[in-house]
Amino acid sequence: MLRFIATRLVQLVVICFLISVFAFLLVHLLPGDPTLAILGPNDTPAARAVLLHQLGLNKGLVSQYGTWIMNIFHGNLGASFLTKQTVTNALGVAVPIDLELVVVSQVLALLVAIPMALIAALRPNRLFDRIATTSTFAMLSLPTFVAGPLLVLVFAVTLKWVPATGFDRLSQGLGQNLKSVILPSVALAIGSVTVYYRLLRADLIATLQEDFVTMARSKGLSTRYILMRHVMRPSSFSLLAGAGISIGTLFTGAFVVEVLFQLPGIGYQLVQAIYSRDYLVVQGMALVAAVAFVVVNFGVDFLLTILDPRVRRA
Amino acid sequence: MPELPSQVALESDAYVPGAAVAGVGAGVQGIAGRLPASGLVSKKGGIGITFWICAGWVLFMILLAVLASVLPLKAPNFQDYSSVNIGPSARHLLGTDDLGRDLLARVIFGSRVSLVIGFAPVLIGLVVGGMAGLLAGYRSGPADTVLNAVSFVLLAFPALLAIMVIETFWKPVTLLKLTIMFAFVSAPLLFRVIRATTLSFASREFVVAARATGAKTSRLLLRELLPNVLPAAVSFALIGVAIAIVLEGSLAYLGLSIGLPTSSLGNIINDGVNSNNLSLNPYIALWPSLYIFLLLTALNLMADRLRSYFDLREVSL
Amino acid sequence: MSRWGRRPQLSFPDVGSIEGPLLEVVDLHTSFRTGRGLVRAVDGVSFNLARGHTLGVVGESGSGKTVLSRSIMGLVPGTNVERSGTVRLSGHDITAMSLDELREVWGMQIALVFQDPMTALNPVVRIGRQITESLRLRAGLDRKAAYETSVALLKSVGIPAPEQRLRNYPHELSGGMRQRVMIAIALACGPKLLLADEPTTGLDVTVQAQILDLLAAQQRERHMGMILVTHDLGVVANRTDDIVVMYAGRVVEQAPTAELFARTRMPYTEALLRSIPRLAEASHTRLRAIPGRPPDLATELKGCRFAPRCPYAQDHCRKEEPPLRAAGQGHLFRCWYPVGSAEGDAALAYNVAARVPAALAFTGIPVRDAALVAPNAVGSA
Repeated sequence: MLRFIATRLVQLVVICFLISVFAFLLVHLLPGDPTLAILGPNDTPAARAVLLHQLGLNKGLVSQYGTWIMNIFHGNLGASFLTKQTVTNALGVAVPIDLELVVVSQVLALLVAIPMALIAALRPNRLFDRIATTSTFAMLSLPTFVAGPLLVLVFAVTLKWVPATGFDRLSQGLGQNLKSVILPSVALAIGSVTVYYRLLRADLIATLQEDFVTMARSKGLSTRYILMRHVMRPSSFSLLAGAGISIGTLFTGAFVVEVLFQLPGIGYQLVQAIYSRDYLVVQGMALVAAVAFVVVNFGVDFLLTILDPRVRRA
Repeated sequence: MPELPSQVALESDAYVPGAAVAGVGAGVQGIAGRLPASGLVSKKGGIGITFWICAGWVLFMILLAVLASVLPLKAPNFQDYSSVNIGPSARHLLGTDDLGRDLLARVIFGSRVSLVIGFAPVLIGLVVGGMAGLLAGYRSGPADTVLNAVSFVLLAFPALLAIMVIETFWKPVTLLKLTIMFAFVSAPLLFRVIRATTLSFASREFVVAARATGAKTSRLLLRELLPNVLPAAVSFALIGVAIAIVLEGSLAYLGLSIGLPTSSLGNIINDGVNSNNLSLNPYIALWPSLYIFLLLTALNLMADRLRSYFDLREVSL
Repeated sequence: MSRWGRRPQLSFPDVGSIEGPLLEVVDLHTSFRTGRGLVRAVDGVSFNLARGHTLGVVGESGSGKTVLSRSIMGLVPGTNVERSGTVRLSGHDITAMSLDELREVWGMQIALVFQDPMTALNPVVRIGRQITESLRLRAGLDRKAAYETSVALLKSVGIPAPEQRLRNYPHELSGGMRQRVMIAIALACGPKLLLADEPTTGLDVTVQAQILDLLAAQQRERHMGMILVTHDLGVVANRTDDIVVMYAGRVVEQAPTAELFARTRMPYTEALLRSIPRLAEASHTRLRAIPGRPPDLATELKGCRFAPRCPYAQDHCRKEEPPLRAAGQGHLFRCWYPVGSAEGDAALAYNVAARVPAALAFTGIPVRDAALVAPNAVGSA
């Protein structure tokens, strides 16, 4: 077990190191003098001196990386030369929004997918199962940039139930806040429902055929008890793995939804920085997002190992 | 509460995906590739009419895109201010957008980028990743260890994020650069699928028997292993195409795919959503959305049919 | 308890207070609707089991014996299954019960021991909860009492250090230990009838005898009825009061154990007996396997179901299925040319002379002098 943790941690560190190297080298992909590209219209001698010092461009590549990574470890992820805002500040605004989006959308998705999968798995190939399986299959082919506009058209433009764009903070009232995140969350949840339903249904059907379920029935336990205490746990490992991937992806990559609904999360801010060619902000945010993605995935992987006693043995 | 179904007369399509392909699909769609076959269609008989209908449909879409400049279509970027935002009509089969551009022409020309980015990198990935996977799965050794580690690292990256960021610094964005970047996403995924499938076949009797009769390695790989590995590879490649199309669509939607004047489907959807277009003329966003939906459905159904026809549920990554 | 649903109060009379057998099975049929047609897995089975007695149910795989044990409990899926016939436990017809009423019977009155403890124990639930859950939810014990009872149960099935085992997961125990745990689970609520479905098939030979002895000891101690389902006549030889031999969903021979071994009438039973290795035989004696395989139960079967594999089979057997006939002392069999009868000997001799493959395979080492009987003598028999 300890050895397993150690191996995983080493892998995690290696991948984070590689991410940082890639992120660092990005600036060197810029054609010509990177300082010119980075500074853009703010190209003054003073600003250039600051930037040269910060990037250490006059030194060798390895010591440049050293300077850069030390800055990061000191919490300095860089700052915009356009707006003077630091990446750390931008993240302070973005992270709570992304967290809320992830929580609301995933809770929605699980609330829909779990009962659906349970009903379908208890009566496989019957009417409900056929309808649910077919419609989730169709939903597989609805990427967010297709489903999102559709939702806006129906619920914001036509029915006018919720605003089409914008984000209201929690300080503006819970109702107001929820109104502004509900549509984006639904847009994100559509994809997750499909995935969760299909993973859970398949695992449930497989588990329900296990001897230990018949065994539990032969003990005279109620259907509900058997489902909750014997069937759900061994059936939920794929679901958890899927949820881990979804959460990692949504937290750092809800680009389309955040741009469509203009929610200033990580994805939105990153895309804005790309639009305004704010290279250092892009670099800093991408680094944080990629590391967060990797860490979340490793975390879920690790959690799965703990939850499944069969794997834990190995 | 209904009675639990018991063991008899149930058929499972449990197909437990490995967690290894983590970072691939930056959209939620990415996970779709590792879902169980839905069993929408009966398991008996041939591969089924569904597969061929879908294949024909995809082929038709490809032909439309290839022949776009020969077909009697209007110029996709020609702005006719005398007919702005008109609905489907005889002159404009799918209507026009807010600048008076013909939507049929825009969708068909726009599909070119989606299809190229959908198929080209996956074909590259299939050849490169496939050969590496076949060799690595057949002959485990240091090469296998290294390739495995490389694919693991590449898959740990969030794909959409990486592509967006790299193209920001690597100007200008061209079809070639996008293809290369997408190939870097698809190759490790296909490598893992093919390696795992090869591993599961490499110790089977028929391979061992062929080896015992002194068959050459190349013959073993091409005549014994390849035919058995191919269904899984093709099935996952089709999913890979779907993922690539979704990724490219997302990029284009964000305005980060090939730059103007080439419009891709994602750009057109974005046009249709921006300003007041969605309420004024929902057709602008509708047609490209419908195109993408039908294309992805066909690809997913084909992959699904292949999976259930060849009973691929046991392939785990 | 209310959290997991209503518990109907069904009064089951105490074992001693009622006359008659513990279990009566009358003309039980269980069929599955499949894509290939109706599969008749259990096709008209009847028998009685007295209190404290042990019944062996013997047959090859595919003979319907596992479905029989599930079917007696009513533990078959509700869809795609046709079940008819009557099963009475202590005089109560359990085939007429609702699911809620059946739940009262399951675990409390009838318990099941499965073939493979690895798959029948939930791999992600600790042993402790798998034992205590029925004690708490069914017998209504509190946490402490349930814990103490489960420790006592594990001790009684011969598991050392039971307190530690309760915290283990199934995969942390050996195969024999797992089967002991499963027996402890089955015994937890003090059932009146124990159904053991191939309880030793998945185990090492050395462990098999221990588990069988354990089952026998528990059965004696608790004065339970027990049905021991197995494919191995050797397993049931010394441990049962009566034996039912099944073939293709049918009872083909039924008798008290000693009677069955002493006066085998059914050719199928004889063939099963001859397929058991014997210590008394020379070490290189060939085992007499039964050629062929059981019939496909999804097809319409005509005549005796064993006829295609039977060394005694005549035209009559293939045309008309023999009824279950009595041969005294509770001995029933289903054969036109029974083993040990004049007709049987003649039939075998005729088949040997006619070079019928099944008969030739059967007489690989001659057991009867075939040449003494004229082949044409059979037709009139």
